[in-house]
Amino acid sequence: MISHRDSNAQRIAALDERAEALKLKRGMGIADARAMHPSIDVVEADPEADRRLLEGLADWCDRYTPLVAIDGEDGLFLDVTGCTHLFGGERAMQDEILTRFFQQGFDVRAGLASTPGAAWAAARFHGDRIVAGGEEAALLSPLPLSALRIAPETRASLESVGLRTAGAVMAAPRAPLARRFGATLLLRLDQALGRLDEAVSPRLPVAPLSVERHLAEPIVLTDDIERLVSRLAVALKADLERRGEGARALALLLFRVDGLVSRIAVGTSRPMREPQLIRKLFHERLTALEQTIDAGFGFDLVRLSVLSVAAFDMLQGDLAGETSDDDADIALFADRVRARLGEAAVLKPVVVDSHLPERAVATVPFAEAPQRRRPPKPDRTAPPMTIFPPERPVRLFRSPEPIEVPATEIPEGPPMNFRWRRALYRVARAEGPERIAAEWWRQLPGEEEAPTRDYYRIEDSEGRRYWLYRQGLYSSASQAAPRWFMHGVFA
Amino acid sequence: MAISAVARETVFALRRQIAKIEGTLPERLEAPASGAPKAIPGTVRSGFPSGLAEKQIAGDAAGSDATPEITIVRRGLAVASPAFLHTGIERLDTALGGGVPKAALSEIHGLETRDAGAVAGFALSLASLILKQKQGLPVLWIGTAEIFREAGFPYARGLNAFFGIEPEQLLFSEAPKLVDALWIAEEAARMTAFAAVLLEIRGSPRLLDLTATRRLHARAQSAGRPVFLLRQAGQAEPTAAPVRLIVSAAPAASRETLAGALAGSIGRPGFTVDIGKSRTALPGQFTLEWNPDEHAFAERRPEEERATNSVAVVPLSLRGADPAPASGAVLAFPALASPAPILPTGCDQPSRQQRPAHRSPRRAG
Repeated sequence: MISHRDSNAQRIAALDERAEALKLKRGMGIADARAMHPSIDVVEADPEADRRLLEGLADWCDRYTPLVAIDGEDGLFLDVTGCTHLFGGERAMQDEILTRFFQQGFDVRAGLASTPGAAWAAARFHGDRIVAGGEEAALLSPLPLSALRIAPETRASLESVGLRTAGAVMAAPRAPLARRFGATLLLRLDQALGRLDEAVSPRLPVAPLSVERHLAEPIVLTDDIERLVSRLAVALKADLERRGEGARALALLLFRVDGLVSRIAVGTSRPMREPQLIRKLFHERLTALEQTIDAGFGFDLVRLSVLSVAAFDMLQGDLAGETSDDDADIALFADRVRARLGEAAVLKPVVVDSHLPERAVATVPFAEAPQRRRPPKPDRTAPPMTIFPPERPVRLFRSPEPIEVPATEIPEGPPMNFRWRRALYRVARAEGPERIAAEWWRQLPGEEEAPTRDYYRIEDSEGRRYWLYRQGLYSSASQAAPRWFMHGVFA
Repeated sequence: MAISAVARETVFALRRQIAKIEGTLPERLEAPASGAPKAIPGTVRSGFPSGLAEKQIAGDAAGSDATPEITIVRRGLAVASPAFLHTGIERLDTALGGGVPKAALSEIHGLETRDAGAVAGFALSLASLILKQKQGLPVLWIGTAEIFREAGFPYARGLNAFFGIEPEQLLFSEAPKLVDALWIAEEAARMTAFAAVLLEIRGSPRLLDLTATRRLHARAQSAGRPVFLLRQAGQAEPTAAPVRLIVSAAPAASRETLAGALAGSIGRPGFTVDIGKSRTALPGQFTLEWNPDEHAFAERRPEEERATNSVAVVPLSLRGADPAPASGAVLAFPALASPAPILPTGCDQPSRQQRPAHRSPRRAG
């Protein structure tokens, strides 16, 4: 028996058959129940775990249809339109679903109908029924009002005027019903009877293309999975070719025998349809996930879905049968690294128009970076460059490191020596300052203005070159004393 | 004339065959210029037990020409010069046996992490030289998260200004762990789409052993692209890389103005390059200057250096022995046939640390 806390009292949230046989009911106080039967076993409700379980079941139901939606706390909608013939008809499919759930230890009721509303009612009030098209009214008429999926308040007020079954509501004139009880009631009624369409919104985006294979003998080995992936990819290639598209994101779904579903996604930087390339990507991903994927007793259904597609540009290969496309090689390399080590494993610098050094170059993941273009030819008509860009270091610290500067020769000048990472450096030569002010146009209204920085190029006594800056000025007495930072290293 | 010219040809052909099987790297192909260090006196260095016979051959050849000529034994395949990247400094190229190998793993060491700027700068200038021939190809820079945190992340604007590498040509890869960085490097090393691959490692991790470097080297060889292994604050360890350079910063040149050098200014960057290991076993130290405008090296002679700069050119090594003199013993072939000492060094045996790096059992002769 499971209890939950409802308005400061522990009440029964759910109970099993044996507890029901003891005449306990949902909503009853735990104290009352204990008084009646002191030996009952009470467990605190855990809605999070229930939710996770339901999600897991929804994942598992993916094997029947890609359109699975979660309904409330304890229901699942499966849109099986066009899927039933794969399992031998509606009856056979429903039987299989019920059998499989039963074998996993769940007490499941199912209903199958032409409309979600009718199916919902059939599942909740009959348990195992298939409603043929057009019989929705006959199904609903004898059922109580709660079969209509309406709010408890509406139900209570309907009952107060004597309408106690769905059939009575259907027989009543529509206009007064709508006026008195709101449009929702009629909407639900129409949806259940199929007069209005009701869409089941799936919890996962539906893949444009997917291929799957049911296996009589579950597979466990990673090698087998990879082999299967390349076979599925061959089947996928034909579909992609017919559509003139390539895959930008792929997902591999592994349905374990005991119901757990593993979902492995890879992304590609450019549209892809070659089976061996797809296999390579999944090889990296599976290698990276080797520790986290538990094959258990094996996978009995493997599905390869294309999550997003893009137009595929055909390339003319050379006579040797190899296209020497360096960009494609690099894209594949980046995809493989990405599949194994995550999105941020391959980075590309993008120049940003900003004079703050740390903002002037953004490093973005390879997939998000704009496509590389060939360096443009020099423009002869452009005026000659007369202003040389200021020198920038080859390495920049992600966050400037504070240094200790005991003395400067002149107040606003470069340091004579400094201490960085506990080592003392003697400055031999210095160039600067280069003053870089904060970008006031990025500043938020209430924000304090960031202090300006004076950058110096420094060469120490051993010939190493650094980029230091002093934050703030000496002059203003109100401000805090300026601080020095190490920001970069020159070649 | 005991041995005919035909027999000599046969011997050379056989030797080439052996070198091919062994996979030996080519040696110098041209006679070093007159200014080159006289590391090879008029004797034959040979790796074969029949060294004595070869000395005779050489003697005969020299005798027939009647000029006291330096005899160079070509060991290995006669690979054309494109196998080497010419640094543009003749002395350095000669000492390295033609230049930095293009299709190989090359180690570039920095003695301390604070040398990271100079080490990266030197490697990038080599990459920039490669890009002169292969325009538009990208450069991949792989590092662990640790080294990028400790030594700073590459800054695309600075790289563009100093080495002419466009930001679009750059790819960075930041691996959380060393294993991942090595995996990325191995995958990248076999690709021909990159102009150069830089792998940056800090310290002397155990993972980066002879096997790991051999894998990198083999992939670089088959792809024909260079892999630069930047090791910050690392010890000289056994490695499969044919070349190890130890780079530290040298004082920059002053800026040139119309009125002459501008005192106190910081101009073109300088590097001090020590040859830590090379198959030709010529130790040496060079002070190079990188010209960011022309993307070319220039050499600074030590004598000029001392005249103009008061500071020490070479920082003292903090970690015990200076690697440069130790490499004097790095000779792939023990001098069987040479009565005179070949190298200007006193020690005949490699030091214990250096020994496994340079002695592979098959080539021990």
